[in-house]
Amino acid sequence: MWALTTVSGGVGTGLIGFYLGIAVSALLRMAFGYPDPWDRDFDCSIGYVFGLVGWVMGIGMWGTWSREWFGLKTRTTRVQGWQRYFSFCTDHKVIGIQYLTTFTVVFLLAGLMAMLIRAELATNGLQFFDKQQYNTILGLHGILMIAVAVAAMVGGFGNYFVPLLIGAEDMAFPRLNALSFWLIPPVALLLLLTPFLGGLETGWTAYPPLSVQTHTAQTFWNLAIVTFGLSSILGGLNFVMTIMFMRAPGMTWGRLPMFVWSMFVTAWIALLYTQGFATALLMVTLDRIAGMSFFNANEGGDPLLYQHVFWFYSHPAVYIMILPGFGVALEIIGHFSRKPFFAYKYAVGGFLGILGLSGVVWAHHMFTAGIPNYLHPPFLVMTEIISIPTGLIFLAALGTVWMGRLWLTAPMLFALAVIFNFACGGVTGIFLADVPTDIHLQDTYFVVAHFHYTIVGGEIFGMFAAIYYWFPKMTGRMYNERLAKLHFWWMFIGFNVTFFTMHWPGIQGMNRRIADYPAALNGINLFVSLSSFMLGASFIVFVANIVYAWARGPVAEANPWSARTLEWQTSSPPPVENFESPPRVVGHPYDYGIPGSVHSVFGDHPATHPAAAAGAASGGAAGA
Amino acid sequence: MTRHVVSVALLWAVLTAIGEGSAFLDLFPAVGSSEAEDFDRIFRILLIMGTPVFAFVIAVLAYSMVTFRASGPDDAPPAFRGEGKIPRVWLVITGALALTVMIYPGLTGLRKLQSDPNGYGWSDTQPNLFIHVQAFQWGWQFDYRDFEGQHLDFSVLSVGGNAAELVLPIDVGVKFDINATQAPYDPGTNPEGGVLHSFWIPAFRMKIDAVPGRTTTMTVKPIELRGFQDDSAFRVQCAELCGLGHAVMATPVRVVDRAAFLDWVALQKAAARK
Repeated sequence: MWALTTVSGGVGTGLIGFYLGIAVSALLRMAFGYPDPWDRDFDCSIGYVFGLVGWVMGIGMWGTWSREWFGLKTRTTRVQGWQRYFSFCTDHKVIGIQYLTTFTVVFLLAGLMAMLIRAELATNGLQFFDKQQYNTILGLHGILMIAVAVAAMVGGFGNYFVPLLIGAEDMAFPRLNALSFWLIPPVALLLLLTPFLGGLETGWTAYPPLSVQTHTAQTFWNLAIVTFGLSSILGGLNFVMTIMFMRAPGMTWGRLPMFVWSMFVTAWIALLYTQGFATALLMVTLDRIAGMSFFNANEGGDPLLYQHVFWFYSHPAVYIMILPGFGVALEIIGHFSRKPFFAYKYAVGGFLGILGLSGVVWAHHMFTAGIPNYLHPPFLVMTEIISIPTGLIFLAALGTVWMGRLWLTAPMLFALAVIFNFACGGVTGIFLADVPTDIHLQDTYFVVAHFHYTIVGGEIFGMFAAIYYWFPKMTGRMYNERLAKLHFWWMFIGFNVTFFTMHWPGIQGMNRRIADYPAALNGINLFVSLSSFMLGASFIVFVANIVYAWARGPVAEANPWSARTLEWQTSSPPPVENFESPPRVVGHPYDYGIPGSVHSVFGDHPATHPAAAAGAASGGAAGA
Repeated sequence: MTRHVVSVALLWAVLTAIGEGSAFLDLFPAVGSSEAEDFDRIFRILLIMGTPVFAFVIAVLAYSMVTFRASGPDDAPPAFRGEGKIPRVWLVITGALALTVMIYPGLTGLRKLQSDPNGYGWSDTQPNLFIHVQAFQWGWQFDYRDFEGQHLDFSVLSVGGNAAELVLPIDVGVKFDINATQAPYDPGTNPEGGVLHSFWIPAFRMKIDAVPGRTTTMTVKPIELRGFQDDSAFRVQCAELCGLGHAVMATPVRVVDRAAFLDWVALQKAAARK
């Protein structure tokens, strides 16, 4: 089978590269007179770099791309059907599905880890795991969910729908796009190897000096993050270029759909700040393998340096996570309120304002870290100011919903939940932005509850909104709407009960990242654990619904939602070149209910008018 | 339109009224210090300020979901785009709210928190007890240095769940100087290595990290005669992930009256001389 050969070929060249790298580094160490040429951290790091190159070349980069660097002719493999998903395919729709399925699996896996964490925390003392296992599960849950939050929306829906929404044939750099995806499997492999190399101790933030002193697993973890960062930067560059230069005629900045705006801003943040994360972990790696002392206080280093560099990326990163959530929520609310988008320019201003401010708030993660007193006021002020552009997103959402004709399908419910959940996460954020309250709440379960409200409540709910909204377009099939609504209410209630309650143990003095806590907190933790199991069980409904629908669901129409944007004006799923004739944009995407308004035309024919489509679709029966 | 605005305003008022009730709930662990009183007050103020914001979002969403629902793609609502005054008014209101929270209780609270230029604590009373804290994997050592000008030279080593306690006198400002170390070391020598920790006493609502290579400080003023036996918030708890023993890096705290403290000090000094 072709897929099996190409993947095992990639694994083969990857392994050859890995051992070659180990040999090279061992030989070099020997040549330079080191007493012991076999240093596991050092040799594995060098081996990994060679292995990574071997893997991406073997999986297809050599044939489709790199041959031309040496004056050879490139080869493209033409495989059809599901085998495309295992090839170095440059079609943005294939890459989108690759990202989505990969990260849905990762999401469910990391969610299972959350269940294990809550099982251990159901009562005080240690029941299921020892401390090493607990910390490893905790660290893996953290970093895998961060990866999902960073890449599932951008890599999945961004790749699939940005070109469609702007009327382009593909991304600006299709081969770079394929490379961004194929850098991900080594990341997953490295992370999943960590439990066998001593396990993780430091959580996902990997603060030194602990991360410099701990097991080899940490080196693998660092290399995984640097690779993931590379993928993220390449993706960011690609999106910025695509949105700037690949828009269809007439798709002016003022007509860009909200999801595209959010991806544009997200891509800029990824492009500008991801280096911080990679740099921070590269420095940890160098401290570990090359004896440098960036973070060793005894040799002139400073542990706080890491936190500044790390949060300089990792705070903007939360906007990489949440902005696509906002974007997709506004996109869906725009279509399912059946009325013109409210305060479009202000919402765009909100996105741009967040882009501008995201890089100057990082030290609010460090209020209790021992930073000088004079650093507190500016970061408090900037953090409070960022609530103003965020407020504009809420203005747009609430204004669009107000006096609309809300079609409360599963995607719309998830989109409205994004607004609800993030409002809660935003309000609790004030307690953490205010230094006087933060000094008690920092590093407690209050913080855990807060960021789950923003990231899960904001982005992951947005991701499910997007899955339900675009599922018929991506697969050409329709899911069961009743099951989707059941999933929504189950997940919404489970989520809110779990995480709203979780603020309280934090205030009471339960710190984060612990396997054990004082017995006084037993009752509340048992309650949180039980409700988290309820939340976890809701995904069974999701998986059953989606898997069945993808395999056997009823065939979906081209435009089951009678939506105006371009992706719905082509077949489901779209052809390789996206549109049969190139689209021309002549109007605003969300002008529902305005007589004579048209968003796009193909050739000489206006695109299906929503009102006409609504009639033709016999009352939107597909959604019912 | 007016009918909808009035209805949603009423719903908002009701939800806000219910939500504001949370400010009267006793959400907090035991109050052990004057800093804790400040924290609880500011937390309540933020709760009172934040509730109407959250209630507004819920009111508009819930009201719209019930009142403006349709069973399919029905494109006949009033087609307004919101380019008039409303966004500008919204901007002014949200800006004013952000500015308010920023100044009060944000910056004003921060000013009080930093009122002692050498310290990091709310109290403006001069500290009269000086304790040097060593945080290491995994335990604490408290070197009592000075009490009201009287030189103290004993240490309390809390490690592996032994019976050691951090004993503090009531109504006295206490200043902690905190270092992260590899292992407990003798005062006067240089601390070596170690990893990050965080010195946190939930009953006092104060924490500061212990950072290798730096000395951080924190001042508190205990005001309640209680201890770990009464409430588990009276404990020193490490709050920065420091490895496998992080969760159990905790030491009971006991606040005693002046006479009891002096007795305890005498006992410790005698023990140290042996």
